[in-house]
Amino acid sequence: MVALLTAVRDDYSQGMVVAAQPEVNEEARWVRQAQRSDQGAFEKLYRLHIDKVYGLCLRMTGSVAEAEDCAQEAFIQAWNKLDKFRGDSAFATWLHRIAVNSVLGRMRKSKREQDRIQIAADVAPSPASIGDSGNLRDLSDAVDRLPEGARHVFVLSAIYGYSHEEAGEMLGIAVGTSKAQLHRARRLLSQQLTEQGYEV
Amino acid sequence: MNDKTDDKLMAMAAELATDIKPQRDLWPEIEAAIREQEPARTAWTPYFAQAAAVVLLVAGTAAVTWNVAKNDADYVVPPEGVATTLDAEFASFGNYELGQGFQDARSNLLADLDLELDKLSPEARTEVEENLAVIRTAIAEINAALEEEPGNVLLQELLLKSYHEELLVMRKVGGLTQNVMSRNDI
Repeated sequence: MVALLTAVRDDYSQGMVVAAQPEVNEEARWVRQAQRSDQGAFEKLYRLHIDKVYGLCLRMTGSVAEAEDCAQEAFIQAWNKLDKFRGDSAFATWLHRIAVNSVLGRMRKSKREQDRIQIAADVAPSPASIGDSGNLRDLSDAVDRLPEGARHVFVLSAIYGYSHEEAGEMLGIAVGTSKAQLHRARRLLSQQLTEQGYEV
Repeated sequence: MNDKTDDKLMAMAAELATDIKPQRDLWPEIEAAIREQEPARTAWTPYFAQAAAVVLLVAGTAAVTWNVAKNDADYVVPPEGVATTLDAEFASFGNYELGQGFQDARSNLLADLDLELDKLSPEARTEVEENLAVIRTAIAEINAALEEEPGNVLLQELLLKSYHEELLVMRKVGGLTQNVMSRNDI
């Protein structure tokens, strides 16, 4: 496992492109301008956050097409709700909440989780597009095969670093449920990776 | 799965990419969707400003006219045998209670107004509220004038127009497309 992690980190660092982050107050300025219907400022916010929002949607849905729709819907909703953003949380967190809602809303509406699994298998994003490479791809695929509840909690807390409180709030579940789902996700992932020959 | 393995798994998960570039630029479609909504967010100003300005101007003019006419009535006696247009209109117009259909429409729109206003940008909301306030001030002034002179056709017409403008503004806010009231509603 240690060897796996080392290899993974090397591959990961090569595959990632780290964008220059603007100053926090610059982002705040764009938010204020966008709240005054400045589309140019909103596009800057889009450019700043799209990769993370799309990544979140892709990790949660496992489908490129669904992730694109969810990300677009999230930004359109964000535009419509901008006047309600008071800065109580970071803009990114606020945006992620909207994206998670978008994912959950679409999944509830479509009720096609089984189809999603098939779509995910058929239209799995290429390694270059998803940003993972090498052995991390196997973990990424294993995450994608998790049941919906476990996958959503794992994505939010293990990959995106949200606390159980935050993940529970975003997903509309209790903290205890979030913890239980994370435990389940870990167990299932461990099983899957062991079956693939990893020493997990 | 022991804790050590668990920690490794979580460490590995933390290495998964969080920033993933979409295969195509999603902005053009987002921008198109936003632009489609934009007229609803920004077209308020000219329309409502015009509506409010017209009502205010007409109401102000009417108030002045009414005051002048009222004062003049003490001094001017119409020639005998000449029927004024005002008398003819007055006779045919009846009282000026608003029709039930209009009352219902107005009540419904008022009930929905706050919800609809919440959907607007702060600037658009302020704009709408200010213009509605102008129209309502005009309505109050005309009503006050009508209390003193209930048969004044000009004031009745102005009241009708003012309510009409208020209804249009509220319907515009709600995005409704029903026909506005007619003179028969008053």
